[in-house]
Amino acid sequence: MSNKPASKPDGWGQRLPELPDGGAGAPLQKDLLNGVSRRHFMQATGFAFIGTMMLGCTAVSEEEALPYLEQPEGVIAGRSDLYATTCGGCSAGCGMLARSRDGRPVKLEGNPDHPLSHGGLCAVGQASLLGLYDSHRLRAPVMDGKASDWASVDVALGDRLRQLRSASGRVAWLGAPITSPNKRARVEEFLATFDNGRLVEASANSQMPIAEAHGLTHGVATVPRYHFDRAQVIVSVDADFLGTWISPVEFTAAWSSRRRGDALENGFSEHVQFESRMSVTGTKADLRLRIAPGERAAVLNQLVRHLSQHAHRSLRQIQDRPLTSVDDAQIAAIAARLWEHRDQALVVCGADDLAAQTLCNAANELLGAYGKCLDLAQPAHHAGSSETELSLLLDEIAAGRIDALFVDGLNPVLDLPAGAALAQRLDAMQLVVSFSPYEDETSAHADFICPDHHYLESWSDNDNITGLMSYTQPIVAPMGATRQLEESLSMWTTGAVVPVRDQVLASSGGDVRRFDKLLHDGFEMRDVRQNAGNFRPDGVHAASDPDASGLQLVLYSKVAIPSSAHAFNPWLHELPDPVTKSVWDNYASLSPATAERLSLQDGDVVRVALGQDAAVEVPVLIQPGQHDSAVAVALGYGSVLSRRFEGVGPGWIERKPTVGSDGLVGASATAVLAFEGGRRKFAGRSVTVEATGARRELARTQDYHSLDVPPHLAPEGGERRPNVQETTVAALMDPHFGEHAIEHHDGGNMWPVDHPYEGHHWGMVIDLTLCTGCSACVTSCQVENNVPVVGKDEVRRNREMHWLRIDRYFVDRDPATAGGDRSNGTGNGDVDVSHQPMMCHHCDNAPCETVCPVLATVHSDEGLNQQVYNRCVGTRYCMNNCPYKVRRFNWFEYAHEDEHENLAMNPDVTIRSRGIMEKCSFCAQRIQEAKIVARQQRRPVADGDIRMACQQSCAAQAISFGDMNDPESAVARARDSRRHFQVLAEIGVQPSVGYTSLVRNRPTDHEGPQHG
Amino acid sequence: MNRHVLTSVLAVAFLFSVIVLASQEDGAHILWNRKGYTPEQPIAYSHRLHAGELQIDCQYCHFGADKSRHAGIPPASVCMNCHRFVQATLGAIRAEDELAKAEERDPVPVMSAEIQKVYTALALDGKAERDPDLDQSPIRWTKIHRVPDYVYFDHRPHVSVGLACQRCHGAIETMERVRQVEDLSMGWCVNCHRDVNATGVAGQEVDASIDCVACHY
Amino acid sequence: MASEHVLQQRPLIEGNKTPGQVTADICRLLDGKPSGTWWAAFLASASLLGLGAVAIGYQIMTGIGVWGLNNTVGWAFDITNFVFWIGIGHAGTLISAVLFLFRQRWRTSVNRAAEAMTIFAVMCAGIFPLIHMGRPWFAYWMFPYINARGPLWINFRSPLVWDFFAIATYFTISLTFWYIGMVPDLATIRDRLKPGLRKNIMSFLALGWNGSYRTWLRYETVYMLLAGLATPLVISVHTIVSWDFATSVIPGWHTTIFPPYFVAGAVFSGMAMVLTLMLIARKTMHLEDYITKQHLGAMTKLMLFTGSLVGLAYGTEFFTAAYSGNKYEQFTFLNRAMGPFAWAYWTMVSCNVITPQLFWFKRVRENFLIVFILTIFVNIGMWFERFVIIVTSLHRDYLPASWADYSPSLVEIATLLGSFGLFLTLFLLFVRFVPVIAMGEVKGVLGIGRGSGHGS
Repeated sequence: MSNKPASKPDGWGQRLPELPDGGAGAPLQKDLLNGVSRRHFMQATGFAFIGTMMLGCTAVSEEEALPYLEQPEGVIAGRSDLYATTCGGCSAGCGMLARSRDGRPVKLEGNPDHPLSHGGLCAVGQASLLGLYDSHRLRAPVMDGKASDWASVDVALGDRLRQLRSASGRVAWLGAPITSPNKRARVEEFLATFDNGRLVEASANSQMPIAEAHGLTHGVATVPRYHFDRAQVIVSVDADFLGTWISPVEFTAAWSSRRRGDALENGFSEHVQFESRMSVTGTKADLRLRIAPGERAAVLNQLVRHLSQHAHRSLRQIQDRPLTSVDDAQIAAIAARLWEHRDQALVVCGADDLAAQTLCNAANELLGAYGKCLDLAQPAHHAGSSETELSLLLDEIAAGRIDALFVDGLNPVLDLPAGAALAQRLDAMQLVVSFSPYEDETSAHADFICPDHHYLESWSDNDNITGLMSYTQPIVAPMGATRQLEESLSMWTTGAVVPVRDQVLASSGGDVRRFDKLLHDGFEMRDVRQNAGNFRPDGVHAASDPDASGLQLVLYSKVAIPSSAHAFNPWLHELPDPVTKSVWDNYASLSPATAERLSLQDGDVVRVALGQDAAVEVPVLIQPGQHDSAVAVALGYGSVLSRRFEGVGPGWIERKPTVGSDGLVGASATAVLAFEGGRRKFAGRSVTVEATGARRELARTQDYHSLDVPPHLAPEGGERRPNVQETTVAALMDPHFGEHAIEHHDGGNMWPVDHPYEGHHWGMVIDLTLCTGCSACVTSCQVENNVPVVGKDEVRRNREMHWLRIDRYFVDRDPATAGGDRSNGTGNGDVDVSHQPMMCHHCDNAPCETVCPVLATVHSDEGLNQQVYNRCVGTRYCMNNCPYKVRRFNWFEYAHEDEHENLAMNPDVTIRSRGIMEKCSFCAQRIQEAKIVARQQRRPVADGDIRMACQQSCAAQAISFGDMNDPESAVARARDSRRHFQVLAEIGVQPSVGYTSLVRNRPTDHEGPQHG
Repeated sequence: MNRHVLTSVLAVAFLFSVIVLASQEDGAHILWNRKGYTPEQPIAYSHRLHAGELQIDCQYCHFGADKSRHAGIPPASVCMNCHRFVQATLGAIRAEDELAKAEERDPVPVMSAEIQKVYTALALDGKAERDPDLDQSPIRWTKIHRVPDYVYFDHRPHVSVGLACQRCHGAIETMERVRQVEDLSMGWCVNCHRDVNATGVAGQEVDASIDCVACHY
Repeated sequence: MASEHVLQQRPLIEGNKTPGQVTADICRLLDGKPSGTWWAAFLASASLLGLGAVAIGYQIMTGIGVWGLNNTVGWAFDITNFVFWIGIGHAGTLISAVLFLFRQRWRTSVNRAAEAMTIFAVMCAGIFPLIHMGRPWFAYWMFPYINARGPLWINFRSPLVWDFFAIATYFTISLTFWYIGMVPDLATIRDRLKPGLRKNIMSFLALGWNGSYRTWLRYETVYMLLAGLATPLVISVHTIVSWDFATSVIPGWHTTIFPPYFVAGAVFSGMAMVLTLMLIARKTMHLEDYITKQHLGAMTKLMLFTGSLVGLAYGTEFFTAAYSGNKYEQFTFLNRAMGPFAWAYWTMVSCNVITPQLFWFKRVRENFLIVFILTIFVNIGMWFERFVIIVTSLHRDYLPASWADYSPSLVEIATLLGSFGLFLTLFLLFVRFVPVIAMGEVKGVLGIGRGSGHGS
């Protein structure tokens, strides 16, 4: 196209004549050369020079280093040491090893040698570390509401005690069950100084009737020791023994020893669970039967009836007609199974009423289980007093017939019924002394608060089980001016403080050398036996006809928050409940059918009312597999200790608070806990549930709860996701098992193997049969790896930070009864539950690695998928491309302001700042440590040298980790299992994490449970 | 108009040079390259004297090196192992003797000012006895060798393969006052790891990992 | 004999303009005070831009958390907007380069605006990869520079790095191309101006242009070469962008048809945006004679074509999923059409596939109002296409336990609006200070020189 003519008229080219030489370009060049003055050049370059200089000079920050003046023996900066002690998280008393680094405990592990816990340590135990560093803990005694010091407290209190003694005032001690002989001695000495001092030990949960029942049926009021490892057939009536009941870690360890799918020759137990709500234990049962809360005694009645027929022994209390809706034939079948294995059978009951408990004892008696699967000769010591004693004491307090009250390890105003009234009485009392480390509902009404040490600052001996003495030694010097209860008592009894170490030393026998060994081991076995008593048929209470009408209340304790004493602990609040996956709240669980009937949705706030005035307002949570008549609400919430969480979580314009309108986490359900015939009735009272119209959105780490995709979106043959694989013992019996298991043809690798693993190749296998979902591993991981707490709102937005999550799936047993709202995959009928721990799979063909633009996540020579925080720019591409969705992004700068809590941080793991991706590192710091140690000892890293934080905490030992290149390693053997499979292997990412399939001891067809 | 051209060209050049220089000094480096850093210390402790002349083994004082991540700064009590008896230079003592002789009196014990600081810190009297009236006060050394918080350097493997301390800390036995000799940059670490994998250390083969998790976790 | 063929056509520019008139018409827009409408539009878009700036500032100070993203959905508005704007940026190069090489002379009235739009669109696009980073202050780590880390380079296998280079290249070339194309017109302006700052600036920018034969010759050559250079970019840029998704393992992303699908989509959306803007310009700036039914015709046909390609791609995706027998893939697409984000999916389909079918009718093609409305639809539809691809694929992938929902936060929405603010602000400044229509080229397609010959 010739535009030339067209351009003429505008008269271009007037300025520059056409030059003979280089044309229009030429003048430009000329000028360029001429135009530059040296001055101008210097200007520009100087500018550049200064700029770069500015970059160069950054101030060197001075940092001081203050070494010890006299370094304590054996202490070496930067090296951590283990000390044996006993967990004080609950009354179970698991053995514990505290890892102390530069003089402060940074991680708590189970003591592998300990006869109860065998190295396991539950989430509560793991998290109890934070209690030590809690900045809200009282750091000095409080007298009449004002901070004080021990000298003046001792003087003032001394006078008050003298008055009491002279006026022979009525003194009562209301405390948690005492498991320390030394402490018991101190308390009894102290109370003995009064004419009528009395000791009432009460637990906040419903375990006290077990001892009472044995008092009736065997004449020994104590909690027997249960041996689940000896039981081939386990029938549990509402006993959540894997989650919250008595000693969960011990029981999980024992239970799991008989659930090993690769060692069927040791027997594979059959586990039947009767329950009204869905408990952790229920999720693992082979046969789970839903009963109304009020039906527990009745069910046991039916069971005992069948057993007595087998045993040809008749009990007159047993009613011959079935009292429940439960199919009698089914119970008969269960009874038959029990009878067939009567020397290896165990019936446990978590009910709060004597009828059920005594019937349970009768069942065990008929089976001859005493002395085998449960033991009264070496019983447990968390019994406490009887419910009757407790209610009598409370009545007397109410009647003003108690002058002085000492409260220890309990928060009666919050934990016991009619707390408000009690609080008033406390004010009226002559003297109230609390040993609580906090200013809580009760201690707020005390004249003196004499804060006890945290157990990691304490000396103690614990005989939680007769014949086993576990010792508690301080891991760190007291953080504040607290004083251990035993010392306070010795002061008030004898007028002088007897150092508690000496007390414990004395009660251990006084031999210092031996004492050192005890402290080193953490425990000792003693051959102590008690009278096991004899069965007294008259002791058995008859079951009354259950009233199954309407809705019935179930008050339970959560795995994460076993009691209000833990309400201060953010780690536990943020721990997803193993069953509901909900955090930072308690709620009323309803079955899908009931919710539908009352037209309630998740998050609708309802008023659960017991009669007129007693009521609690909590949001609804729809719980598949729950009995339609049950309304389950967790205790332990709504404590003032949770007031501190007002500001938890990042602050931004759309932030929603973690706490409720009252500034507390959850609501206290003791409002609907009441005495009935002198005993606290936790379950079975009929309640009304009505919507308040308000909504409180629940935060759950899982939005979709089923392995089945929504039916209307399900492709042909793709209705169920294959990431959890199940089988039965029967199927495993087939020697050809696994040959035609689901093929995972990961279409081979297109590329030649360009990164062979000559040295180590780390891998992990998790046994889905053993995993109970208890979540100890989640907290353990959080503590080990400095995982931040993000608060309810962030979790609700699916931004939880846990590196290790446990996916929990409900699958309808019988799709016909599914019904209900399937949009979130939950059904109406019986459901099977599976737990699947999910963390970074360290894929050998990791999708995340190829996409990171800055090489912030790359593969190591040992098969680790390394995440380099300081290199990450936060594109989140890796997170999107991760098929397991296990990567966690720092959406905000998460708070690390609390100087005290920061002391709980693991100094061996970087604290991540905002905008950075993080994820499970296979505890790289532990791998490094083990390799360095091995190198120093001039030996290869041995199998078992390296234990992941999650693996270490697991009571069921469901997790094996090690070198896949070593054919002898536990992990290599697990990968050879017939049950081994890998999630999403079919997409060819070659994960280093595998699973062994979930085995249920269940016939493939529908008879009763069958032999393994 | 040509000035425009030139300015814009130089501006671009400037921007580019900034980027490149930033890269030289970027990330950790900009804060941590303190090569040559020689701060004054509360006590004029001489490595030349102790490690050089007296040939005291490094790990006699820095006893953490083969036991822990940190070699550690010795506690004052370690100094006292010798300085309970050695309180001043021979010269000073002789001088005092001379003086005493001249003044016809018994020589008084001499204490060098620097060593006195250790005694003060430990609240010891001249006879190295704890003086109850005095309070102990820590010696506030100034840290020299520092790496960023996200770097986990560990002395143990380096010491255990027999790597000379001087490899990273320079000829410490010649230093009156300690100086940072290497820049402690990632490149410096990684390249050394690469080299020793090829050459070995002290005649032995070593495998020095260049994986990220060797230092970053 | 292209020229003869051209001769038989209706004149591209109506109203028998002389070159002088053209200059007058176009330059009229640059002299004198801007109109009230211009000011109104400018203030509106500038305030949008301000809103966006505030949003981004807040986000960079507080953290990515102020967006609605979560552990499952790691990208949403950010990358949606990025791909959307890159797509918009396509028409420019297509019109100026490809159509130039194909001797599509109708392009002359729209190419200047289209190229400008390209550059502004790419600017908008460029913002998002930057601010979507957790630590944008380290964005320069994307750049393979000499460093003291051993050294530690960038990951040349990462599609994000490819993006970085592709877009940088595309931006540079488009800018150069635009500028070179503008030189003759700048000279024209220069010559019309009285001495003063503006004249100096224009003289600087005009690079001493003197409409000599040689100048024109060189100009034509450079222009031709640049066109040749730019053409492959039309294909490459969006192909590479599509690899961000195609190379992943996520069902709904891991798709081989993405490159052609994305390119077609990009041209489609680009054309729509050009038309939207040009139709507004035409009304407000009285360019009726320069933007005629013919332009509409040509561009709407192109849209009809690319739109149908996109429709085909949608269909193909479903077929591939069904035929592959991959259950995850199948679920993903069923979930797209019937899952929680079905509304987004169907908005996309109706805007991109169904409504453009109206372009089959001449009456629709030549009705400025209807075309305008339809192009708006297409813009909306194409934004949703990216949203659907990104969000619906992420929110329900492999493991049901990690399925999650997504809803944008206020900040996210503000940022999207902000990007439109930036785009419009720049465009308004452009129409104010640069000739909207390439006078030099338009003059080449005037009626004159035809009328004189054999009577028409």
